[in-house]
Amino acid sequence: MGEATIAQRLVEAVRSDFPDHQPGTRPVHTVGIGVSGTFMASEVAGQFCIAAPFRAAQMPVLVRFSNGSGSPVEHDGWSDVRGMATRFLPGDGAAMDMLAMTLPEFFTPNVDAFLQFTKAAMPQSVERESPWRKLIDMLRLELPLPDPEPGETMNGSAGMMAYANRHGFAGEAVFRAGMIGAPVSYARATYHAVHCFIVTGADGVRRPVRFSWQPVSGVRTTDPTAPAIDRYLHEELRARLAQGSAQFMLMMSVGEGGDALNDPTRPWPAKRTRVAMGMLSLAQVVADQLADCERVGFNPCRLLPGIAVSDDPILRARRDAYEYSQRERGATPCPFAGG
Amino acid sequence: MSIRSASAALRLVRLRGAEAMSGSVGWLERVVDRLPDSPVFQFLARHVLVPFWAWRTPVAVAEGGPVMTIAPGDNVQRMMNLVMKLKDPSPIGRAKAALAIAQNVDEIYAGLNNVGTVHFARFVLVGDHLCMFSVYDGDFTNYIRDFIATIGSVFDAVVALIDGGDAVIPTEQNVEAFIDWVHARDLYQVPDLATDLLNQQRDGSATETDIRRLPRALILQLQANPNVSLGSGYRAYPGFSAAQLRHRLEVGW
Ligand code: HEM
Repeated sequence: MGEATIAQRLVEAVRSDFPDHQPGTRPVHTVGIGVSGTFMASEVAGQFCIAAPFRAAQMPVLVRFSNGSGSPVEHDGWSDVRGMATRFLPGDGAAMDMLAMTLPEFFTPNVDAFLQFTKAAMPQSVERESPWRKLIDMLRLELPLPDPEPGETMNGSAGMMAYANRHGFAGEAVFRAGMIGAPVSYARATYHAVHCFIVTGADGVRRPVRFSWQPVSGVRTTDPTAPAIDRYLHEELRARLAQGSAQFMLMMSVGEGGDALNDPTRPWPAKRTRVAMGMLSLAQVVADQLADCERVGFNPCRLLPGIAVSDDPILRARRDAYEYSQRERGATPCPFAGG
Repeated sequence: MSIRSASAALRLVRLRGAEAMSGSVGWLERVVDRLPDSPVFQFLARHVLVPFWAWRTPVAVAEGGPVMTIAPGDNVQRMMNLVMKLKDPSPIGRAKAALAIAQNVDEIYAGLNNVGTVHFARFVLVGDHLCMFSVYDGDFTNYIRDFIATIGSVFDAVVALIDGGDAVIPTEQNVEAFIDWVHARDLYQVPDLATDLLNQQRDGSATETDIRRLPRALILQLQANPNVSLGSGYRAYPGFSAAQLRHRLEVGW
């Protein structure tokens, strides 16, 4: 019961940041598109992780790309975090999910802080900073507050910034989210699964790891000074897949003593051993987006034997929060046995 | 700090410029949004704002080299970016430096082999400076110590061409002083995380950071340390020492 209460509070907290949230939809990452494809594990993947997706030669996957916002209105061109939820289907009715986003770190290290953070991030009415205020910022060699997007009247930027200034752990994510921009394509961004997971290798060794998807076609964002276009990401993906596949390489960093194993606000240094775990090739946009994508419920804790959650309290809390959200919005229960 | 975040921070005025919002913004906003790119503002920034803030909120010169950590991965493939001012920056002086290296290639390569923990090392002339860039495993002082032990005489020939070098020659007899001398010329490595720059500059009394102050933090740090390494850099095979690679590649040593 206690768990359920935290899950409910988390989901309500997330929802409260998006006043135009529509019941029956995801409270965040609301606008998205589902794509099917295949994942092929690398030759070495199975040595590091014995979970089925890393042992089978090739398996089907379902991927849902999304804009981070919980608003039902699509603003592809706005600066926003993007999501990539992947379901690996290694066969025999098993399923494993990996949820990733374009920010490499999260805003808070634990649930209580997250609840406070969402309060701070409640949308307030925004206007462009006055030119005089901007001038003062410039004279102080400081960043002015980001301009709202055209037509944007409310956002949580100022609240988040104030929170980050009081709580150093949020600084990196808030700073980076503030200038993350918009990708030219869902297939041209790097997505990070952020949390630490524990993988078991063929030798029985358990290693703390973090995963990232790297786009084979490279990372590219839109020109931030040009007018934002509201809808282009879905069409771009359809056109891209009509011409061929879009690929991502799954990279895994192996953590070490001294690394933030249970703190999603601290990325690990780029100097950690990095293993290429496999290649994802996206083939086509899912035909029935409603049934086979929008109704699907991904969960970062839906794992398979050989990969387990770490003690990261945010990751652990997400298990019930996502289930709660999915019950609330009437998502199809996961038809697979895994996790 | 990623180069992208540094440059975005430096634009000062973000992002969706006034042009993109045209119609909804007044002329003053347009002028202010374009100001950072104007020569007048740039002149003002360089000659008034930066000196003023450097005086008002002084930032200490940051120490060179990689930061100390306990993780094994941080102790392999470390960067040394040595930037040494030539006594004689004329083409003749620069040619002397080039010759000093060229004439000692055998000694340098043999020395590096003997040190055994160096992945890459190269000399580069940039303007008035002779630079030595290398990637090594393990402790910096041990690296330099081993190096002096194996190629001290070459070091002497090179150091003799550098401003302030005479004080540490012969290097074999001034090991500790020479280590300090090298360390003082090793570039400060700007942290990979933008907010770590603020944390480094924070004095103990401050409890709040202000991420909006990042551009100033970066500018003032670059005022204090004109030459820096931007972040810890990319590695194709992070986490492995030179010895491990040789072992795995089975090249016999
Ligand atoms: C306390 C922290 C978090 C909470 C409470 C939270 C909450 C949620 C909720 C309620 C949903 C909608 C689930 C559904 O109805 O299907 C969601 C979706 C999503 N979240 Fe989180 N989230 C958190 C952290 C994260 C992190 C750290 C990441 C990135 C690694 C992330 C990535 C995503 C993605 C990609 C989706 C969209 C999934 C899809 O396409 O179905 N979230 N989140």
